[in-house]
Amino acid sequence: MIKVINMNNDEILRVENLHTSFFTSAGEVKALNGVSFSLKRGEVLGIAGESGSGKSTAMLSIMGLTGEAGRVSADKLEFMGKTLDAENIKSMRGKDIAMIFQDPMTSLNPVLSVGYQLKEALKRHHWEGSIRDRVIDIMAKVGIVPAEERMKQYPHQFSGGQRQRLMIAMSVICSPVLLIADEPTTALDVTVQAQILKLLREIREYSGMSMILITHDLGVIAGEADRVIIMYGGEIMEEGTVQEIFKNPKHPYTLGLMKSLPKPDSKRERLIPIEGQPPDLLNPPEGCPFVKRCQNAMKICLHKKPEVSVLSDTHKYSCWLEVKNNA
Amino acid sequence: MLEVTNLTKYFDTDSGRVHSCDGVSLTVDNGETLGLVGESGCGKTTAGRTMIRLYEPDDGKIIFNGHDITHMKQSELLPFRKKMQMIFQDPYASLNPRMTAGDIIREPMIIHRLPKDEHDDRVNHLLKLVGLNSEQSGRYPHEFSGGQRQRIGIARALAAEPEIIICDEPISALDVSIQAQIVNMLEDLQKSLGLAYIFIAHDLSMVRHISTRVAVMYLGTIVEIAESSELYTNPLHPYTVSLLSSIPVPDPEISAARKIIPLQGEIPSAINPPSGCRFRTRCKLAKPECSFLKLELIEKGNNHLCSCPFI
Repeated sequence: MIKVINMNNDEILRVENLHTSFFTSAGEVKALNGVSFSLKRGEVLGIAGESGSGKSTAMLSIMGLTGEAGRVSADKLEFMGKTLDAENIKSMRGKDIAMIFQDPMTSLNPVLSVGYQLKEALKRHHWEGSIRDRVIDIMAKVGIVPAEERMKQYPHQFSGGQRQRLMIAMSVICSPVLLIADEPTTALDVTVQAQILKLLREIREYSGMSMILITHDLGVIAGEADRVIIMYGGEIMEEGTVQEIFKNPKHPYTLGLMKSLPKPDSKRERLIPIEGQPPDLLNPPEGCPFVKRCQNAMKICLHKKPEVSVLSDTHKYSCWLEVKNNA
Repeated sequence: MLEVTNLTKYFDTDSGRVHSCDGVSLTVDNGETLGLVGESGCGKTTAGRTMIRLYEPDDGKIIFNGHDITHMKQSELLPFRKKMQMIFQDPYASLNPRMTAGDIIREPMIIHRLPKDEHDDRVNHLLKLVGLNSEQSGRYPHEFSGGQRQRIGIARALAAEPEIIICDEPISALDVSIQAQIVNMLEDLQKSLGLAYIFIAHDLSMVRHISTRVAVMYLGTIVEIAESSELYTNPLHPYTVSLLSSIPVPDPEISAARKIIPLQGEIPSAINPPSGCRFRTRCKLAKPECSFLKLELIEKGNNHLCSCPFI
């Protein structure tokens, strides 16, 4: 097999064979089992999967935020040509790579004014120029005006949607190259969600920033992402452009997810759920993580990890079914 | 079966009186599902809970199966309570962690004095009905997954043999692949037991799927009610139009082609809501008279009710 080496200078992030485990009193939880992906400048990568699929853990591993219980190993973990070791990530976190979280209520400090909290990141990363001007500028950009007045206020004086705008302001204030948004709109109402997604789109348009968007909502992914990764049980099941994933889904799990959604135009057609329960990561299956819920499961799926089938430069998926069909 | 007129519920807080549910009128027929949608804080949970007297109403009338239960004493209410049950959002917080699944499902039978010798059989029957097995009755909630816990919550609601179940965000805490399992089960149970549901949720696509009719709430009031497909294909109220246009569509082409009609401004406080039409401060069609209109739901044809007189 010829190995294609990506010489594209546009690539800003490369992750190869990422493994993350958490050591708990119940034993080792294998949250990630060999995850590889890359990201280009200006690209939006959507990562979808259910709770426990490892989508958040993958991001925390990149950011060096897995804590003492976590152990991260990877063949490659590079951002802008630099290896993301404990030392490098410290200076990049919040400056070159920023992150926003799901819950705008608990992510802001309730006893500090929002202006103070916005200034913190700039001071930490030695912002050149007027810190105050930058804070006022960014607050106006996320639509919180009059900024001079509102920067003196505290988080409880803002609505849920405004708090998430403040979180976004705080994350992009140092003009990061990459923004990791972990379920940024899950706690918000649909009308507010639409506003926040629009705001993120505007920021990307003028800054050229890349984004990794983690969500369980396939509707949000379809609207925002250029490329999509579908995760299950700590592994990548399928990867492709947004068109490939939504128009030509291949992996039985991706197909199952698509089928389980209510169809917008049909008359109360019965839903087709994925039967069974999510895998237990304390005792993960030896083979494919989806094996217990897969209708097409074969013997080999139980004890051997599937090989990756490549359909196009961008579209890949891990399933024995395709390997067998091609053999 | 259930008829609610001008239902009103206030909550007095340190910062003032919160008008959570302000003159809600609706009906639920036998065996139907009424979807109740709206954004957080619009009063859909308060409305649902007040309808079955979990909260005491401050005004209005609740008629259940022809009986006025609005001011009934607790002792008189008990036989009606049996017919009205509830399923909650959080399958982690709504089950007592120190009770086994079997005891959780048995509790309503004890409260409503169902014959004791039938309890065990009925617990086993209910477990089977919700897709669990009778061996699991001795296990505690932490031994189950989120989807399985929600099944236990549903079995508990069914234990009292209800006619109507208020489902308050029953699938919001569950993964996408599990949501469809629970929705299918609720539909099957409705058919076999003839249940009516009030389905409260913010997932508008799922509400469309499960509901016969849908009511849209904004700041404590109902702005529009219609049959599910009618409401989603032909929304009339400017708030409903905005709300439905914001639903993300899991299709990249449709998603790129559609037009989102954004809402202006922020939602006003329910402590000091706008006079007249609650939505006027964010409405593109607002006129001066909207501030003193006495709004009522107006029939616009096709059983489609809307509170805006200018449409």
